[in-house]
Amino acid sequence: MTLTKTKTGPDVRLRGTASAARKKTFWLTTMMLPAAIWLLLIRYLPMFGIMMSFLDYRLPTRKMPFPMNLLKSEWVGLKNFQFLFTGESLTMIRNTIGYNALWIVLGLLISVAFAIMMSELTRKFLAKAYQTMMFFPYFLSWVVVSYFLFAFLDPTNGMIVRAQRSAGGAVVDWYNSPGYWPYILTICSVWKNTGYSTVLYLSAITGIDRTQYEAAAVDGATKWQQVIHVTLPHLKPMIIILLIMNVGKIFNADFGLFWSVPMNSAPLYPVTQVVDTYVYRAYTSTGNVGMSTAAGFLQNLVGFICIMIANSVVRRLDADSSLF
Amino acid sequence: MTTAAARKHGSFRLNVVSRKAETLFHVILGVFALACIIPFIFVVIISFSSEESIRQVGYSFSPAAWSLDAYNQVFNLGDALWRSYFNSFLITIVGTVASVAMCVLYAYPLYRKDYRLRGFFSFLSFFTMIFGGGLIPTYIICKNLLGMSNNYAALIVPMLVSPFNIIIMRTFFQTSVPFDLIEAATIDGSGEYTTLVRIILPIVKPGIATIALLTALGYWNEWFLCLLYVTDRKLYPLQYLLMEMQRNAEFLARNSSMIGASGASAISSLPSQTMRMAVVVFIVLPIACAYPFFQRFVVAGLTIGSVKG
Amino acid sequence: MKKFLSLILAAVMLLTLVPAMAESPVEITMLLEGCNVTDDAAVLEKLNAYLGEKIGVTLKPVWGTWGNFDDLAQNAVNTGSSEYDIMFTCSWTKNEYAPYAKKGAYVRLDDPEDNLLNEYGAELKTVLPDLLFEGAMTEGPDGEKGIYAVPGFKDFATMNTWDVNVTLLEKYGYTLEDVVKAGFYGWGDIFAKVKAGEEAEGKVFYPFVFEGAVVERYVDGTPIVTGDSSGLLSYYMNTEDVSVPGAYGNVIFNKFATPEFEKFARQMREYYLAGYIDPAIAIGETATDTWRNAQNTASYLISSEVSLYGYEYTTSEARGIQVAYVMTTDAPYIDNTSVQGAMMAISANSAHPVEAMKFLNLLNTDPFVMTLLNYGIEGVHYTLNAEGEVEFNADARAAYSPWTNGLGNVTLLPPQKGQGADFQKRFAEFYAGSKKLPIYGFTFDGKAVETEIAAVANIKDAYALSLFTGAVDVDTALPELLSKLEGAGMQKIVDEANAQLKAFLGE
Repeated sequence: MTLTKTKTGPDVRLRGTASAARKKTFWLTTMMLPAAIWLLLIRYLPMFGIMMSFLDYRLPTRKMPFPMNLLKSEWVGLKNFQFLFTGESLTMIRNTIGYNALWIVLGLLISVAFAIMMSELTRKFLAKAYQTMMFFPYFLSWVVVSYFLFAFLDPTNGMIVRAQRSAGGAVVDWYNSPGYWPYILTICSVWKNTGYSTVLYLSAITGIDRTQYEAAAVDGATKWQQVIHVTLPHLKPMIIILLIMNVGKIFNADFGLFWSVPMNSAPLYPVTQVVDTYVYRAYTSTGNVGMSTAAGFLQNLVGFICIMIANSVVRRLDADSSLF
Repeated sequence: MTTAAARKHGSFRLNVVSRKAETLFHVILGVFALACIIPFIFVVIISFSSEESIRQVGYSFSPAAWSLDAYNQVFNLGDALWRSYFNSFLITIVGTVASVAMCVLYAYPLYRKDYRLRGFFSFLSFFTMIFGGGLIPTYIICKNLLGMSNNYAALIVPMLVSPFNIIIMRTFFQTSVPFDLIEAATIDGSGEYTTLVRIILPIVKPGIATIALLTALGYWNEWFLCLLYVTDRKLYPLQYLLMEMQRNAEFLARNSSMIGASGASAISSLPSQTMRMAVVVFIVLPIACAYPFFQRFVVAGLTIGSVKG
Repeated sequence: MKKFLSLILAAVMLLTLVPAMAESPVEITMLLEGCNVTDDAAVLEKLNAYLGEKIGVTLKPVWGTWGNFDDLAQNAVNTGSSEYDIMFTCSWTKNEYAPYAKKGAYVRLDDPEDNLLNEYGAELKTVLPDLLFEGAMTEGPDGEKGIYAVPGFKDFATMNTWDVNVTLLEKYGYTLEDVVKAGFYGWGDIFAKVKAGEEAEGKVFYPFVFEGAVVERYVDGTPIVTGDSSGLLSYYMNTEDVSVPGAYGNVIFNKFATPEFEKFARQMREYYLAGYIDPAIAIGETATDTWRNAQNTASYLISSEVSLYGYEYTTSEARGIQVAYVMTTDAPYIDNTSVQGAMMAISANSAHPVEAMKFLNLLNTDPFVMTLLNYGIEGVHYTLNAEGEVEFNADARAAYSPWTNGLGNVTLLPPQKGQGADFQKRFAEFYAGSKKLPIYGFTFDGKAVETEIAAVANIKDAYALSLFTGAVDVDTALPELLSKLEGAGMQKIVDEANAQLKAFLGE
């Protein structure tokens, strides 16, 4: 990987004496230390817990304190992973990956478009107002969102339901009709996450040197051509990085969105069951921490593989934009 | 600065999208922004509704009766409310400052193509974005080894470093700082820290503001750490006060038959729905007020542009 | 690699093993469930003075709430934390009694080599009924049967009842007798008349309001099979006499595969389609709120309730109607689930098991300790009226309300206002009339079929509430559910349960 590349020696572009290079490395390394130590302590040290995926976990007790209990726990191989591939688990795998794939693309298109639109507004006051408003969803937990939705879809008092009834039309039993929910969930997801990624793209646009637009304008480029030839190329690194990182979460799902928003309604499971809700239900019914650790590990592993693939594709196309 | 001033008055104003396109942008963005704010307005309305009205017609934009009960209940929390406010502010401010500093310091060398250990450290942080030890081992390390139990550290330290933010920050460096600038500074004999603080940081201000914003939002919204490591009510952040009410209600809803008849009385003694909404209002308002502060750097940058020469 | 790993593990262990310093008096930490306590200083001061003098112990309660207890307890047991000496446990929290006793999270109290119960809990043993200890018998880490927690002395028998709004019933010329006689399968006419009458005023009215997740138990007489936390298994009891086996004998079934279940589901479907059931009751997250809300606002005709002795007075007063509870069995039945409904365990990581036992002994036998911990200080948190009943001081109580049933022996407490001075006596007499189920003492251990349970529970959850509440068509949903369950290994779970039951009964 990159390791081998960097080990070839000091960068040729900055020619200096060996001692200057060493000094530079030293000072730059001191910058990394605070976060690096944190990573080692709080992220790396607990990683021995991945072992639990393969163990019939025994509780630590006074006679067998942590972490000796891990060594004493029986090795069960891949047994803890089996439940993820038993029964109806195919549905949840399909849902998890399907929704994620759709939302990654949709989220990218919408937030890049929004960021560009906002950057082109001449009234900055309104641009600021829109941006502030777009962050509000971030503060409402999915539970609160679910109340909001329920106010519309409540089978007896819901605003939509009442309107349908008073119009004499057929009343939709929303929480009993899976067909609508892929759309509802998609809208909710876009609604909640757009503000967050829009601000990332917007600040990346901010970093673009305005003289480039001026130059393009002088050359007679239309606004649209400027977006294509100036804005997008500058956004490319951010787009690629966010894309790669989202691909890494392709097997993770937002529990609250899939549990609270559909009000945990049973008939909707075929379209709302995702890996996190599946594991949650499995864990509540068995209390086996080995199984939930295994599920988490598998999610990570899938993410890791996807990132590696995505990254190597990107590296082949454009080495500078790749993650590492 | 002179270019910025010139831009404000000069011919640059001509280089804008057509009026038609801009109107369309306003419609699209405006509708979406409204959709983002309406649920919050809804929350505000519910917080001012009477419980009786909710029992009868459920949640509604036009409740049958208005009431200030929810806010009276919230104010009845008294010290607990103001303490949790204080805690939330403290955690958010300290956490954000420390976290952003560490993030920038880590991301900057990762951007330096001439830094020898770049590959190693980039992998070090990237790997933790994907893999983690899981809840139990992390809990053991944080609580037993690092002593994070019933103290502010427990609410700040576990989310100090975000590999996601590091990568984003590195991308900001990449997109807005030309490498020649560093070469020039090095030739001038400027020390690494001096270069970073004097030359680089002013350029990536929008990036830093963005990271700071995201981090502050993260700290302000955080409640799970409190659930894990804190039982002392004096340390509760505001968000946890709300989550505790929420979780109490959810638990009783799921285990009602097990707790039996005493569960019914437990449910009826829960804080009202309207009060929970009032607490949401209390949580959102301060950060909504703080938002323009960050925004100054993010959006204002749009007109100023970067300082690079 | 392995050596390196062991080294790290050893280092971590050394650092985590901070030696506990001996102090006097010994401080006991107790993790409680369902409490709402914001100010305990005065109570603890008084309590600890008493405890210190009496048994050389001070108490530090950690007032868990419904919302955080599960996480606190689960993290403590899973990480082997020594921070709690005593921990609430039961059949429905995440630190569930039987499985975690089996995993070794709790100290065995009647260990033949170190019998804490005999040595430091002699009084407690005489005060609590033997049948409570019988129900607390469960397997430990090495398969040895024993007592791993002190069972709470409360309403230890299950009373599944129909909660009837008598006031509304009589408004339409029916009597309680009619409801009892017609039974679940014959309520259609009553529902129709009451619904039509109530809706004549222009509002929507649902006469039948219940807890969907468990209502099938009331109709079919299927108690919880202890250990089946996901509700997959059914044991059919004899509702005429719960102490003898039912028509099927002592056999466990796939809950959804019996003719009884199908009949029940079809009836529910009929009621649902007729508009007698609120559709919100069929939605997971709104089910309980809808049910409780309808009860509290008295907008129901028949509802369900796991009731307890004397509860109709409380609810009638609170709802402003006359409430009657109709038991669905001949007597309250004693099963492990109800006996294990609230317990106190000593953590296997406690540094002070002896002191913890001494304290539990006092908590369950000394009215002063129990009352102080539960109700607070007389004159501050409550006053005693002329009849010797407790009247709470609302403000002080608001800052100090532990969950009574989660604390220990509730029979030591003075009666509350309206209960009458002899309440505890009547309470005890009533529950003395309860009967043990034939499979009392049996706890299903799903360890061997965990993979199947995890998969099956996910399938079951996609159908159960809808079938229980009539929200889906039985003809399509039920066969679909059954075939999916079969595919995920349901039969293996049922067979395992029956094998275990057979072994248990054979002993």
